[in-house]
Amino acid sequence: MEEKPGLCYQCGKCSTGCPISDEMDLLPHQIIHLLSLGMEDRPLRAKTIWMCAGCYTCATRCPNDIDITSVMDVLRAKAIERKIACPLPDVLTFHRNFLRDVARRGRVHELRMMGEYNLRTRRPFHNASLGPKMLLKGRLHLFPPRAVRGFRRWIRRLWRR
Amino acid sequence: MSPGICLFPGCTLEGSAGAFQDSLVRVFQALGVSCETLRDWSCCGATSAHAVDHDLYLALNLRNLAKAQEQGFNEVLAPCAACYHRLASAQLELGKDAALLTRLNAETGLGYNGQVAVRNIVDFLARDVGLDAIAAKVASPLTGLKAVCYYGCLNTRIPHSEPVDDREYPMAMDRIVEALGARALDWSYKTECCGAGLFITNEAVCARLVSRILKDAIARGADCIVVACPMCQNNLDTKQDTIRAAHNLPRPMPVVFVTQLMGLAFGLDESALKLAHSFVPFEFAVK
Repeated sequence: MEEKPGLCYQCGKCSTGCPISDEMDLLPHQIIHLLSLGMEDRPLRAKTIWMCAGCYTCATRCPNDIDITSVMDVLRAKAIERKIACPLPDVLTFHRNFLRDVARRGRVHELRMMGEYNLRTRRPFHNASLGPKMLLKGRLHLFPPRAVRGFRRWIRRLWRR
Repeated sequence: MSPGICLFPGCTLEGSAGAFQDSLVRVFQALGVSCETLRDWSCCGATSAHAVDHDLYLALNLRNLAKAQEQGFNEVLAPCAACYHRLASAQLELGKDAALLTRLNAETGLGYNGQVAVRNIVDFLARDVGLDAIAAKVASPLTGLKAVCYYGCLNTRIPHSEPVDDREYPMAMDRIVEALGARALDWSYKTECCGAGLFITNEAVCARLVSRILKDAIARGADCIVVACPMCQNNLDTKQDTIRAAHNLPRPMPVVFVTQLMGLAFGLDESALKLAHSFVPFEFAVK
């Protein structure tokens, strides 16, 4: 990890500024504290790392310039690698589904990406009232964007889902 | 003649935020800013790539930066705040770590030199185009319009970087709005998070964040919220009816892109600015 949790002196600015701290089981400063003690296990199982919206408020306010938001990225990647059960499976499903859509042609087809996410999370009518309105306004396209030449082959070499 | 720039549109500007793209192109035409779309661009990975696979996120952005370099650009403009954040963060990381750049170039089969600068739209408009040039194009000043400028998270907060504006109390968009003849009000939610992807994965939490932003905008007496991020526009606008009902907010609050507002002040055709894309109608009689 490039970030250094050991620099943290537990001022708690990250947790006070976090817009969704009341939804977390471990607060950002507690995660950093555990990591500075070399205790990764609890953070890796925390709901917090999947709830984080990635707003970078914590990273911006940290007096020791620890990019806490990116620490969350590292923890998520490790949790996946170690096959730790995700406490918010819909979030992981969303990310995987999104990247699968990117891999298809290099650009996202929002309508298909959302539809597939609904099917994969078994809530076919999630946000369903929004879809038709977005289509009518021309904010969603029925047809996918044109594929980027060579992208599919390029991404396959790099990324095994 | 203002400087030319390479445009990285990104998936959302070509999709659900077409209003941002169209208004931006029209406004650039009016200002005489030449802009060329990056050929063969691909998705920046948004939140999902960096959330689960750091190398994948770097590779996706390296590809676009390498395309810009190949096509002879040393700057890329990414109007979408998420694209901007990903491209700029990746550029920052690749630019200062030669070993990482060499490894990723080898793995991706690309030859990026680490030299392309990434720009956001607000900073580009305020600094490169300039407030005077913007004010000079105003045909119908937005006199009497009270706006709050909402910057969101990703336009101002790139860790370990030199900030382009104050990270927590930015002013560049406020100055643009004032150059159009409108009043930019002071408020407390300029850079508070709208929930971003929680819009899809955790609606209730997202709705609560959105409601706070709307509540302050209403309390300040704003006529509209001005944004420069497609995700912010989507989250604040598309489900506002239900959010307002659930959180007892007294009146609708239109959410417009800064480029749409500029277009209005420049006297451009309203339909070309796609104001009707918004769910909450924005009605301001331009004189």
